[in-house]
Amino acid sequence: MDHSELAVAQDGAPVEVLRREHGVLMEVDPYRIDKKKLGMWIFIISDACTFAAFLFAYGYMRIGAPVWGTPFGLSSIVNGVVMTAVLLSSSLTMLAAVRAAQTDNKNSAKKWLGATMLLGAIFAALHLREWVRLIDEGWRLFYNPTGGAAQFGATFFSVTGLHLTHVVTGVIALAFVTRGYNQGRYDQGHVETAGLYWHFVDLVWMFVFPLMYLMNAH
Amino acid sequence: MSSNRELTMRSYVGIGIGLMAIVGLEVILTLQHLPVRTLLTCLLCLASLEAFVAVMYFMHVKYEQPILFWTIYPAVLFVLIFLCYFFPDAFRMFSMRLLK
Repeated sequence: MDHSELAVAQDGAPVEVLRREHGVLMEVDPYRIDKKKLGMWIFIISDACTFAAFLFAYGYMRIGAPVWGTPFGLSSIVNGVVMTAVLLSSSLTMLAAVRAAQTDNKNSAKKWLGATMLLGAIFAALHLREWVRLIDEGWRLFYNPTGGAAQFGATFFSVTGLHLTHVVTGVIALAFVTRGYNQGRYDQGHVETAGLYWHFVDLVWMFVFPLMYLMNAH
Repeated sequence: MSSNRELTMRSYVGIGIGLMAIVGLEVILTLQHLPVRTLLTCLLCLASLEAFVAVMYFMHVKYEQPILFWTIYPAVLFVLIFLCYFFPDAFRMFSMRLLK
């Protein structure tokens, strides 16, 4: 962040400003964070509202339906816990990558970014395995093989599918950031912004796992 | 809220283990076969606690300017409160008659 200085506004009040090219003075951004990060925060807020709407709709249907599909046994719960552990570990590796990028340790940052991508891919594979198992059992978007509420498939596949899309997109985005960072086109700010997105994906899973898996355990 | 003293990686790992412990608690609660509403409330409270910790520490809101916190949280809370109001209203749909 640039060094700020004090200037006097038209009404005589002191204002903290930044001196730009050609002597132009600009008022200091109140958030004092990188514009990329602020943009990512705005995206995260809007995306959080999207997930909230999905989960609210699911919650109301789940409580409102007299008979609801509960296809998850102990093996699925264990699989879900492993998926949570994998995603939480990927958040930690992302933190290590951001920290390495902040200290200009390029090799370490690349290594941790690679670990994050690998864990993201493992999470996606575990998730797809759960999907395949459910589809094999006959669960579809609009069909419940046990004869209960058909909305289970619609809510489960849409919410977890939306989250899975975010994970896959995150892995692709991290691959681009790692490549750009390696080539010197991107700086530590890009790594931090990508990290912010990745932590958000992890945060959403903290709601998806208990609501979609644990609430539907038999 | 804003502090320049960031945690060490060891502390972050500790927070990660703490979050996994909350997940373990969620699983234990699930295995108690509580009524749906009670279980949903408990799981939402625990998930919100996890999310708060993740936002503050993993997403570094604790180390940013307080204005960022006060921009994010009221906005999301506002949306959540409105969702609470509007979703029950959507159930009116079931008692509506189709007009020719």
